[in-house]
Amino acid sequence: MTKSKDVSRRGFLRGASGAVLSLPFLEGLTFATGSALAPPQRIAFYYVPIGVVRRGFFPGEAQATIPKFGGGKMKSIFDAKTKVGVHDLELTPTLKPLSKIQDKISLVTGLDRTFQVGTDVHAQCASCFLSSAAPFSIKQSAWPLDRTLDHLIADQIGGSTPFKTLEFSCNSHKDNLESIYFDNISWYGTGHVAPSVRDPKLAYDRLFGTSETKELRNVTDLVLADAHSLQKELGFSDRQKFSEYFDSVRAIELQIDRLEKMKNELSNVPLDEPTEAHMPRGEYMRVMADLMVAALQTGLTNVATMMVGPERWNTPFMFEGLFDKPKSHHQMSHNQKKYIQHLLKVDRFYMEQFAYIVEKMDSIEEANGTTLLDNTLLTYGSGLGDGSTHQYNDLPIVVAGGGNRLTTAGKQLNCPDGTPLANLWLTQAKAMGVNTPRFADSTGVVSGLLS
Amino acid sequence: MRILVSLLFLLSNTAWTLAQEETQYKTIVAPILKAQCFKCHGKTDNVEGDFDLGEIASSKELAANAELLEQLIEVIDTRSMPPEEENGLTEIEREQVLNVLRQILKESFSTLTDFPQSPIRRMNRFQYSNSVEDLFELDRIVFPLPERMMRAYGYYKPSTGKMPDVVKVGSRPLGKSQMIQPRLGGVSPFPQDLRAEHGFDNRGDHLSLSPMLMEAYLKLSRSIVESPDFNSKSVGIWGRFFASPKDESKTNEQVSVRLRWFLTRAFRRPVNEEVLSRYCELVIHQIENGTEFEPAMKMAASAAIASPRFLYIFDGVTQSKVAEKVDDFELASRLSFFLWGSIPDEELLELASNENLSEAIKSQVARMLDDEKSKRFCDSFAPQWLQLERIISAVPDRQKFPEFYFAKFRVSMHMMLEPLLIFETVLIENRSIRDLIDSDFTYRSEMLNAWYEQGKPVKAKPAMIPFSRMKLDDRRFGGVVTNAAVMTMTSSPTRTQPITRGAWVLTAIFNSPPEPPPADVPALPEPEDESISELTIRERFAAHRKQATCAGCHVKIDPLGFALENFGPTGLWRDRYENGREVDSAGSLFREHEFRSIVQFKDAILSEDEKFARAFSKHLLAFALAREIGPADAGSLEQIVSASKSNNFRMRDLISQVALSDSFRTKYNPAVDMNHADTAEPKGR
Repeated sequence: MTKSKDVSRRGFLRGASGAVLSLPFLEGLTFATGSALAPPQRIAFYYVPIGVVRRGFFPGEAQATIPKFGGGKMKSIFDAKTKVGVHDLELTPTLKPLSKIQDKISLVTGLDRTFQVGTDVHAQCASCFLSSAAPFSIKQSAWPLDRTLDHLIADQIGGSTPFKTLEFSCNSHKDNLESIYFDNISWYGTGHVAPSVRDPKLAYDRLFGTSETKELRNVTDLVLADAHSLQKELGFSDRQKFSEYFDSVRAIELQIDRLEKMKNELSNVPLDEPTEAHMPRGEYMRVMADLMVAALQTGLTNVATMMVGPERWNTPFMFEGLFDKPKSHHQMSHNQKKYIQHLLKVDRFYMEQFAYIVEKMDSIEEANGTTLLDNTLLTYGSGLGDGSTHQYNDLPIVVAGGGNRLTTAGKQLNCPDGTPLANLWLTQAKAMGVNTPRFADSTGVVSGLLS
Repeated sequence: MRILVSLLFLLSNTAWTLAQEETQYKTIVAPILKAQCFKCHGKTDNVEGDFDLGEIASSKELAANAELLEQLIEVIDTRSMPPEEENGLTEIEREQVLNVLRQILKESFSTLTDFPQSPIRRMNRFQYSNSVEDLFELDRIVFPLPERMMRAYGYYKPSTGKMPDVVKVGSRPLGKSQMIQPRLGGVSPFPQDLRAEHGFDNRGDHLSLSPMLMEAYLKLSRSIVESPDFNSKSVGIWGRFFASPKDESKTNEQVSVRLRWFLTRAFRRPVNEEVLSRYCELVIHQIENGTEFEPAMKMAASAAIASPRFLYIFDGVTQSKVAEKVDDFELASRLSFFLWGSIPDEELLELASNENLSEAIKSQVARMLDDEKSKRFCDSFAPQWLQLERIISAVPDRQKFPEFYFAKFRVSMHMMLEPLLIFETVLIENRSIRDLIDSDFTYRSEMLNAWYEQGKPVKAKPAMIPFSRMKLDDRRFGGVVTNAAVMTMTSSPTRTQPITRGAWVLTAIFNSPPEPPPADVPALPEPEDESISELTIRERFAAHRKQATCAGCHVKIDPLGFALENFGPTGLWRDRYENGREVDSAGSLFREHEFRSIVQFKDAILSEDEKFARAFSKHLLAFALAREIGPADAGSLEQIVSASKSNNFRMRDLISQVALSDSFRTKYNPAVDMNHADTAEPKGR
């Protein structure tokens, strides 16, 4: 893509009712060749920690035994005997919130990951979800953690947006109980975290604030010169790590230039600035979701991740409205038998927020009668197949969007036993134009999912 | 006995040769490993816990695997292995094996080439804020730091050597009013950095940069110097740096002199001419284009604090391929980030430029601890060592413990200050770290004292609160273990969690965090289940825990948690459970020191004070070096412990010894990739 100036050709209108209308993407604008420019393709991920209750989520498992503990197998204890292939989508209790947009989603079952022995079982759930590297393939790391899929794809499709990627988290950040390995799904590389925004107000200011950023340019030349001279004083491994400084400054210079071009459009984005007041958890999550959707819509970025909360999160929550006293998702997950009704509510609550994002994206029109959702691959997933068994196999995955290319829209696609999750990532990477024969421990694409 | 005598002879003899080492290994260690350990950890298909001794055939091979060796020493030393059910070692065998293993470990590092090195890393938020404050000599904070759990109101005067009897404090994370403090308006912080698991928030491998953070640093660099509160009144270096020179003809000269002084402090090293001229040119260019002197200097200051030379903490490259001593400037930075969480002051830099610092470590550490800036050490090390951030998210059940809540606050906001004040007292008064386990004093507010005595808060106040020193005759209380904060944060909303508590004791007090629980760890049945309502938590757990594989860890964890069972889920003393059964806190520490009460438990820990001192030193060293402590640091730890033992492990002695240790004064930063360099010399082991 060389047509980076196209980002400025967008505008927004506020409709008479106050509802948000956006001009169809680049409608009427054509290049010299006369061909209509297709909307950009975006990709986004929605990560739920601590797995799900299987019998509430997976078709055919409603009567499955509720897992007790013991055995240490970290595997499914029940086989729904679903045949490999495409099935009609059954909206289980946890999937119910998707009913309005079920024609634009696909449930993908049967995907597995491999746990690298030697860490807490939750430590790799989120941090390695989007990298899926084979165990022990990454030297000098307790986690098989590599550059994650979002960044790999952003290398392909994030080149012209102000932000190559954006990372959002709904960890409201009061106690910082968990270390970075539990708290992030997006990584530039091993040990190099792509930190997320958690504060709605700060996120808003960063994305849509109209503050002057141009003057930052005044100092970047100077600090880059300092960086070049400093680099010569460093040992080998420090020089490797220090490249993060150059990468970051360069990214910001691009960001400043591109934001400058989009300034007028962005100042018209009809999003209310979030308040600093405490919000109920659902509202807070939806405000973060609004910011993510707006960023994808306006071309601030083409690649986004959203994390519901850290893995192994022990902090008790009211989940406002769900419970009358604070409950810890993680602690309840260890006693599924007793807390199954509570856990099902939590699973459904997080699915409702996902459905909110899907519906919202589908309400935003873009060129040629498509919607933002049609031009986005949005994936719901968790790093555990079940919060109780802590299994890394049979993961709960929903793929939404993709327009006509999602061939199993409205269906369930059940993959053969042992299909690596990385096959889904490879499929998505290819769909986004990444030319690679393999991703992490993939063995091929998930055939029949995307055309 | 003959073997023991010859062994002692060998140990006293410095000429311990490799051949002797091998003989000792073959005659003493190997037979015992085979008899005691191979059943589970030998060359079988079923090696427990990845701990495979079957591959080890000689002392040389053991020495080459320092991590395994260190683990082996620890499990034998703490009697967690071999398990009770096995035949066990005799005391003499145990001593013999430990002596030989320790000797092998020591020997393996005597020709040390590669100390682990903390990587280059950006400052974390706490360090950044302190450094900006010190660089400009600000009379106010840069931005509020919730990571600072305590707000102190002027009591911290370490040079007096005495903690006042009454101190005025507030608790930040729970009391919003405590955040209001003179600060730079218009400056907003970047997110708090997270604590590494079993570590601190300054860990090098956890602090990387991203565009988002870089943007924050760049914006901060502007908003700080442009804040309306950044002026001649609030900035201590104003006259020396920002104010226009009286003699305008000397402007260019002044720019250069002032920038050299400023950049040396900001970058913590003598500034080279190339860098200096770049900053001079920026300022002079601005002035020539009509900018006033003051804004031009602000621009330079702003660039300096966005420069990687300010933002990054690093040691220069090592010239040879072996570890070498840090230079005096690097030493100055290590000391100041350790004890002040900030850049070195002019005295440290002055000593460094005269190459006198390495000779003056002891006196400088004393001076630095006497400085009020050492409060930052208390603010960052102590709460993270104790994992006190966990009290912030502790929410005891409102129905069960209604007294825990008052107005819109919680009693925990007073609780969390008690262990922190005990820590500060031990530091300021240079008391033995044994006081951290068992002190005959504590600091409490009226409300907190009423909590302990009556189980309800009286005179509950959220804001600035006086905490008074109390003499304690009752040894159940005192120290940092049995206080209400730690007891509450290691409980669930409704009950105590002995395993969580045991794991906390192992991690904080003995620096030996248990392995993470297996994935299939069962939840403890709740007492509402009728069948078990008559049981105590210990019985419920015993009935519940059937898997033999769990026993290996739990024999180590459980007694330390059950020892604390007399303290309920909100830290209140109880003799009986709700079901009327008596609390049983008996157990043994390292399967050696029996105890039947909490006081005896404290005595048991104190009888292992050397282990505690080593563990505590390891926490200090990890904090000081911003990295994990590995087998290569064993020698330094030994040095720290033995040097502070004669004086009963006083806190300031320990800190001083940390700064004097080889680990603290050594770096290893080769210019070439040692993993791949064909020319790399053999590593000596």
